[in-house]
Amino acid sequence: MVILDVLTMCRSLRLGYRWTRVLAIIAMLSIQSLFAPPVAAQPSPTWPARPIRLICPYPGGPVELSSRLIAQKLQESFGQPVIVENRPGAGGVIAADAVAKAAPDGYTLLMGAVATHAINPALMPNLPYDALRDFRALALVVQVPNVLVVHPGLPVQSVRELIALAKAQPGRLDFASGSTGSTGHLAGELFKQMTGTYLVHIPYRGAAPAVADLLAGRVQLMFDNQASALPNIQSGKVRALAVTTMQRSDALPELPTLDASGLKGVDLTTWWGVMAPANTPNDIAQRVATSVQTALMVPEVRERLRNLGAQASSIRSPEAFASFVASEKTLYAQLVKRAGATPD
Amino acid sequence: MDASLISNLALGFGVAFEWVNLLYCLIGVILGTLIGVLPGIGPVATIAMLLPITFTLSPVAALIMLAGIYYGAQYGGSTSAILVNLPGESSSVVTCLDGYQMARQGRAGPALFTAAVGSFFAGCLATLVVAMFAPPLAEVALKFGPAEYFSLMVLGLVAAVVLAHGSLVKAIAMVILGLLLGLIGTDVNSGVLRFAFGVSELADGIGFVTVAMGVFGTAEIVTNLEMKDEREVFTGKVTHLWPTKEDFKRIWKPILRGTVLGSALGILPGGGALLASFGAYTLEKKISKYGHEFGKGAIEGVAAPEAANNAGAQTSFIPLLTLGIPSNAVMALMIGAMMIQGIAPGPQVMNEKPQLFWGMIASMWIGNAMLVILNLPLIGMWIKLLTVPYRILFPSILLFMSIGVFSLSNQPFDVLLMMMMGLLGYVFVKLECEAAPLMLGFILGPLMEENLRRAMLLSRGDPIVFLTKPISGTFLVLSVLLIVILALPSLRKKREEAFQE
Repeated sequence: MVILDVLTMCRSLRLGYRWTRVLAIIAMLSIQSLFAPPVAAQPSPTWPARPIRLICPYPGGPVELSSRLIAQKLQESFGQPVIVENRPGAGGVIAADAVAKAAPDGYTLLMGAVATHAINPALMPNLPYDALRDFRALALVVQVPNVLVVHPGLPVQSVRELIALAKAQPGRLDFASGSTGSTGHLAGELFKQMTGTYLVHIPYRGAAPAVADLLAGRVQLMFDNQASALPNIQSGKVRALAVTTMQRSDALPELPTLDASGLKGVDLTTWWGVMAPANTPNDIAQRVATSVQTALMVPEVRERLRNLGAQASSIRSPEAFASFVASEKTLYAQLVKRAGATPD
Repeated sequence: MDASLISNLALGFGVAFEWVNLLYCLIGVILGTLIGVLPGIGPVATIAMLLPITFTLSPVAALIMLAGIYYGAQYGGSTSAILVNLPGESSSVVTCLDGYQMARQGRAGPALFTAAVGSFFAGCLATLVVAMFAPPLAEVALKFGPAEYFSLMVLGLVAAVVLAHGSLVKAIAMVILGLLLGLIGTDVNSGVLRFAFGVSELADGIGFVTVAMGVFGTAEIVTNLEMKDEREVFTGKVTHLWPTKEDFKRIWKPILRGTVLGSALGILPGGGALLASFGAYTLEKKISKYGHEFGKGAIEGVAAPEAANNAGAQTSFIPLLTLGIPSNAVMALMIGAMMIQGIAPGPQVMNEKPQLFWGMIASMWIGNAMLVILNLPLIGMWIKLLTVPYRILFPSILLFMSIGVFSLSNQPFDVLLMMMMGLLGYVFVKLECEAAPLMLGFILGPLMEENLRRAMLLSRGDPIVFLTKPISGTFLVLSVLLIVILALPSLRKKREEAFQE
């Protein structure tokens, strides 16, 4: 079909025979590479024989920064270029879908995240990929806690006081989030459910304008990413009440957890890690996973990731990461269902 | 206060004049100019790709270079806008209007010169503003909430109607079409997809660059090709490279006004900088005695918006450096770059890392000076580019545009969309509809909707907040006044007369 199109195109462009043939061959080759059956999962000692692409769904932020950081180290250990390719759009669906449908040959990797693999499956009924079946989780790279912060003008010093205030004035308090369906939004919905309070969700386009309105006191609280909240907490422009993880945060050790403040079992983080298409051969998957872990151990990398807010994590093996992804998916499915937060 | 300002600036220049920092500043502005000139390849992609390199630099050098790329790109962007009617980013859309017309009249030299000098002047003054007033201005930025943004944009949109050269009805129609195009994508409040027709590439809406390159660049190429060989004729009559004395007399006031307006709007993190060049152009058109020449190659129409967008680019560092709030995608990347260096952007940067803060501010001034020195000699070269036969020039432009648009999100769909926008743009040319109001509607529409609904959410559905908040109320009153002025019969007559000239 396509070859015919190329031929007609050449004719209509009045290209000579030679060019027509060249174009036809190019078209044929490209079709072959497009429709070639995925190479069977057999050990490939030659891998990597060509550049590897690490697809990043969220350019311009910590996900891209850490992708580039990891890519640099992978490149050194594989001896082949590892290229970070940004494929933004549709909340990460475009990038994840591209990798889900890519050849499982180890040359296409994904920086999968909580949104692509846990939240989107819960929010989007027509997701073109299956977060668990289509991927092979290799290595968790970053886990960042969220922090419940309030405007300093709000007369509460603890989570308990906040709950009391919210109960005394139902529907008066607002909570901001970077977008509908973000971890910040869903943390707020979980908070509402567990405490039986009513807070109004104010979604923004990205966390930055949300923080601006929080600093100005137009909204009173927010579940913000710890890394971006930290300077404002330290300068007193916002007051931190609790961290959303079971363990206390490395960066804010004096801050209590939500779990200890009466919201039993709350453990929400923003995370991302390296994944591959489902049928990627074992040996390649193992090599990528090991190399990422090695990179994460390099003091320089660790330091830079900590600057982005990353917590030390106990999830080190591909198996642990895979079961973590599965449990996160279940968690958000329940959360979204109970909150009724699907777009409708 | 003054003494500390001088000592701070001295500290800053001390840092910025270290040879390493000078070198990275130079690399930054050269890279910035290049990517600015190449249509579509914007500072966001460039800065992202360079980030790993900056890890090895000192934080000051890294930020100086990244900042240099950013304002260097603003600079270079005007070059392609003037020469081939290609706005690489939002700020250069307005430069296209009169800059390209000047180029067609063989006055590309003065237009490029005006853009360079206007940018330089604005950059210097805005740097001073950043140095002197950064902390208090950050507080002003916080005064702008959803209600204030909404009303500011209403004012901007109303004022934009005067952007149109011809029929008022057509201008309004184009604004509305732009608003509609802007609605495509995910609704911020509910997360529902609108007008995406199941195409996941449309889930985040259509990109500004894609639309701008289509309706300006591609449409211009189609129109030119229709004219066969005429395009080559007008490039032959380049009379002089430098502006005349008369030109200088005409541009200094617009540059000054553009700088003031741009500095003020650049501070607002929620899209204020977008308004700067549009606002400056509109203002000039209203108050200039050459108002009737606007759109036909008025040099003021290049001077004012170029000054405004450069001033806005500098002052948009204020919310970043003082509040840690990025005002656009480039600033968000800068935050990432700072964080990965272990510097949390926010109010404490100024006190804890004075070398970084003041060094960066001082480097902006140095970078602006470098840009002028770099760009003035280049003007001659750019003009030579116009003498390249069009049959060779246009495929190259198309190629660069396609690469640029593709590189935005590595999506072939965007290239297709740009071509469709080009066809649409050609239809507009045939119907004598201006594309500038469309772009303004496209930019402001989604922002207005978002802020309107957010303000209403915050007020629990009470629309009176738009009037009771002083800043917001003032903007709305001004908008009404503008409409009244526009509608008054005596004035309308004058307006129509002006059009007939």
